[in-house]
Order: sequence, then C-alpha cells, then structure tokens
Amino acid sequence: MALLVVSMLIPLMKVLSDSFDRSTTYGINLWPQNPSIVAYKTIFSAKALYRPLLISFLTTASGTFLGLLFSTLGAYVLIQKDLIGRRFFAFFIFFTMIFSGGLVPTYLVIKNLGMTNTLWAVILPPSLNVYNMFLMKNFFEQIPESLFESASIDGASPMIVFARIVLPLSLPALASIGLFFGVQFWNDFFNYVIYITNTDLYNFQVKLRELILSEQNLTDPSIVGFGNSVRNAAIIVAMIPPMIIYPFCQRYFITGITMGAVKE
Amino acid sequence: MQELNKRKKVWNKIKKDKFYYLMFLPVFVMTIIFNYIPMFGIRYAFYKFTPFKKEFIGLDNFKNIFFGINSQRFWLAFKNTIILSLSNLILGIIASVVLALLLNEVYNKKIRGAIQTIVYLPHFLSWVVTASIFTIILSPQGGFINSILEAMGKEPIYFLTSEKWWRPIFLLIYRWKETGWGTIIYLAAMTSINPQLYEAAEIDGAGRWRQTIYITIPALMPTILVVFVLNLGKVLNIFESVFVLYNSMVHNVADVIETFTYRIGMQQADYGLGTAIGLFKSLIAMILVLITNKVSQKVRGSDIL
Repeated sequence: MALLVVSMLIPLMKVLSDSFDRSTTYGINLWPQNPSIVAYKTIFSAKALYRPLLISFLTTASGTFLGLLFSTLGAYVLIQKDLIGRRFFAFFIFFTMIFSGGLVPTYLVIKNLGMTNTLWAVILPPSLNVYNMFLMKNFFEQIPESLFESASIDGASPMIVFARIVLPLSLPALASIGLFFGVQFWNDFFNYVIYITNTDLYNFQVKLRELILSEQNLTDPSIVGFGNSVRNAAIIVAMIPPMIIYPFCQRYFITGITMGAVKE
Repeated sequence: MQELNKRKKVWNKIKKDKFYYLMFLPVFVMTIIFNYIPMFGIRYAFYKFTPFKKEFIGLDNFKNIFFGINSQRFWLAFKNTIILSLSNLILGIIASVVLALLLNEVYNKKIRGAIQTIVYLPHFLSWVVTASIFTIILSPQGGFINSILEAMGKEPIYFLTSEKWWRPIFLLIYRWKETGWGTIIYLAAMTSINPQLYEAAEIDGAGRWRQTIYITIPALMPTILVVFVLNLGKVLNIFESVFVLYNSMVHNVADVIETFTYRIGMQQADYGLGTAIGLFKSLIAMILVLITNKVSQKVRGSDIL
C-alpha cells in the first residue's frame, strides 16, 4: 500500500524537484541539484507565460459563475412538479446527453455566430452542463416541500423563493458543483484547440502543451535558457489551483459523485 | 364549453407560472443554439463541404469511409477505440476494486484519509498536465525512467513513440490518473455491507482474506456491474487522453475515432467527411446508451440518469 502511494507520487515529486533546478540535464535525483526559483520568476515575468495564466483565471471565474447560474435556474424550474411543460423541458435537456450533432457541425455553428477566436466560445457552450444541472436538481429535491408551500402562501414570487430559500439552503451543492465547474474551466484544453487559433487568447493549459511540444529551446527570447525548468515549473503552476482547492472540499466532491452514481 | 374552460384553466396556470418560464429561458435558448441547431448540420454528411465548395453528393462520404480511400484508417481508428476503451474499462474496474479493498484494510482513520486525499488527487489534474508530466518522465533524452535504465546499462526506450509501448503506457497513465477516484463508489458500497456478516464469518473462523473473498467481493458485484454497464455506453467517447499522448508515429495503435474526426474535419477542414464520421459515431453511441439504459433498468430497476 505504502509502496503504491509512493510510486504514485514519484512523478509529481520529480517534476516538483526539477522545477526548482536550473541544471540543464536531470538524472534520477528527486532533489534539486542547483536549487533556484528562476523558472517561477520567468513564468510570472514573461508576458508569453503570464498572459495565458490571466486568461485561465478570467475564463474560470466567469465560466464558473455562468455555469452555476444556468444549472441552478434550470434545476429550480425542473423541480416544479405541477409546471406545465416540465416533462418536455426535462426531456429537451436530457436528449442532448444521448445525441449530438457532433464536433464539426457544432464548430460550424459557433463559427457562423462569429464566436471563434473570442473567449465566448470557451466560456458559453461549456457553461451549459447537463450533468451538473441534473446533479443540482437532485440536491434541490432534498429541500423540504413545506418550505416552498409556506413561502408561496406568504405570496413570495418564484424568484424570491429561489433567491431567499433555495440558494441559501443549497450552499454545499453550490460549493461542490461550483468546484466541478471551476476544475472543468481551469483544465479546459479541448475547446481552445477547436475554437481558438489566436495565440493571444491561449489559456495556460494550451500554453503548457506548447511548451512541452517545442523540442528545441523556446522561441520567446525572455524564456530561452531555462527551457527545462520552465517546463517543469509550468506543470506545477497549472496544477496548483485544483490542488489547493480540492482537499478542503473533498467531502463535497464525494457527496456529489456518490449521489450521482449510486442512486438508491 | 367544458373544453373552453379547460383551455382557460391551462392558460391561467401558465400565466401564473410565467416567472418559471422566464427563468428557464436562458437555458432553453442556449440549448437550442449550442445543441439543437448543430443537429441540423448533420445534413453536411451528405455534402462535399470544404471552405471552398459545398455540393450535394449523397452517400459518397459514407462510401469513402466504409469502403473508399479513408476506409483503412477509419476501421483502424474504430478498432483502436474499442481496444483502448474496453481494456481501459476492465483494467480500471479491477485496479479500483483492489485499491478499495486495500484502503478498507487501513483502520487508522487519519492515515486512511491522507491516502485517499493523495490517490484522488490526479483526477483533478488536466490531461494536458498529466501528459506533460509523463512526456518529461518518459523522455528518451534524460527522462527519469530512461535515466534509471541507463544507470542499469540498458538502451533508452522511446515509450511514447513506439508502437509496442504506446498502448501499455497509455493504459498505465490512465490508471495513475483515475484509479483512486474510481474507488469512491466501491468504498461507498462497502460501508453498506452488514457488519454482522463479518462477525458471523469470524465466529466461523474465517480470516480477513476469506472474508474479502466470500463477503466483500460478492457484495460489490452489483456495483461493479453498474459501473461496467454505465461506462459501456461511453466506450466511443475517448478523445482528450489520446489526443495529448499520441503522435504521428503511433497512429496505427493509438488513433481513435474522435482524433480521426478531428484531423479530417478540423485540420483538413473537410467538413462534410468529418460530419459523416461524427454522425456514425453519434448514432452508435446513442444506441449503446439506450441499450445500457435498458440493461440498467433490468439490473437495478432505475434509469442510468
């Protein structure tokens, strides 16, 4: 067991160690031979590297916000048992999970909307996540119905009930699904590959991929010379946000996944 | 008259609920734009459609991929998809069940929690990060593994560019990333096993090993089956993991349907042909999901969704 955990950690330790090492070649050491933080300094000072980082933060924040907005709104309407058309809405949403137009037709629609090479293409479509919406609906269904009834007797409109009762009672759900969205947007690579060709709009994942693929030393003069440690440091930087947030919210994540998968 | 009254009632109810419809509107509009309008694009599967040309050609695209010049690559990609997905699914279940059983034997709550935190972690890393880590570790030029081989006096191995090594390495990397996360569902199932079963077994003189074989594993079987069936519906959806780890030297063993679609439809901008391959994939995927849904209804009496 211990052996298993250690062997799992070795790749991470190696990358971490080499990111602080300004040697030109590395061996089997798991500790820096020439300790230095120059690689990290480079990432935060070279525009070619910190700009993608800012894009990542921007898209993650706005995408998570929109994602939560759409999934709470959708879920709230879907739990209204006597709403006319509710079953149609549920099927309308659900059907997109089992059938889609496919990669190319979706690309053509987004291209015709003029959204390629804008951040809208990587924020809007992924913020509509059917799986997360149904997960949110499962959470909402646990709110006691009597609360809704008493509120509507008091004459509260659906929006007031939504803002004053449903949202405050669903903070754990908002935290856990918000984190799902956060990780999804931070880690997004696929949508950039499809919709973004303008290098100014690359996020950090795409930039990292570019760094790893460039076999020779990097073309940007400000980064040349630190090639390898910059690569390792970029991996660490791309890992940090999910790693920081995740242990604190592990409990919520697990509730979310077991609820989605093991339905009693 | 009664009909009229009923209609009026429905209308009044809709009017009363107008805020709900208003709240659903953004979701509705977005779904139409990003999910339903693209479905009409399926007609391009019957067109010769590139940035310069758009002409109806009937079934020619399908003839092309099933029997024509692209058929060899297409069927290869189809075969690779099935091989990679299925072996990944089966290995995944075995590895996660074994790890869950091991975790279950760790009694110290703190140590167990720490191990869980560590093994779940790679799930939250992106495929780009994962591929980057292993590209560096497995690099033939001074990568960690090859440095060890070198120290042992062996030749360096080109893990990610060799047809012999790519599939095992891919499956191994996938396990590194997802095995821990996969245990969650089995650990949850284990907590619902009746402790009296273990007590009775102990009285009968069964050790930990026999208890695992005769109580824990049989109790996990329904969960294992559910996981298997659920994921069987998704076998064709394998893209990002392959995309970040493959390269032109290993297309023969690594190219899958979605990467093939991407190269044809996006890189070569042959929209018609790309749509045709995508349509074929979507249809099979839909049939698989519907079948697994039926099985799931039978096995556990509830839909998969």
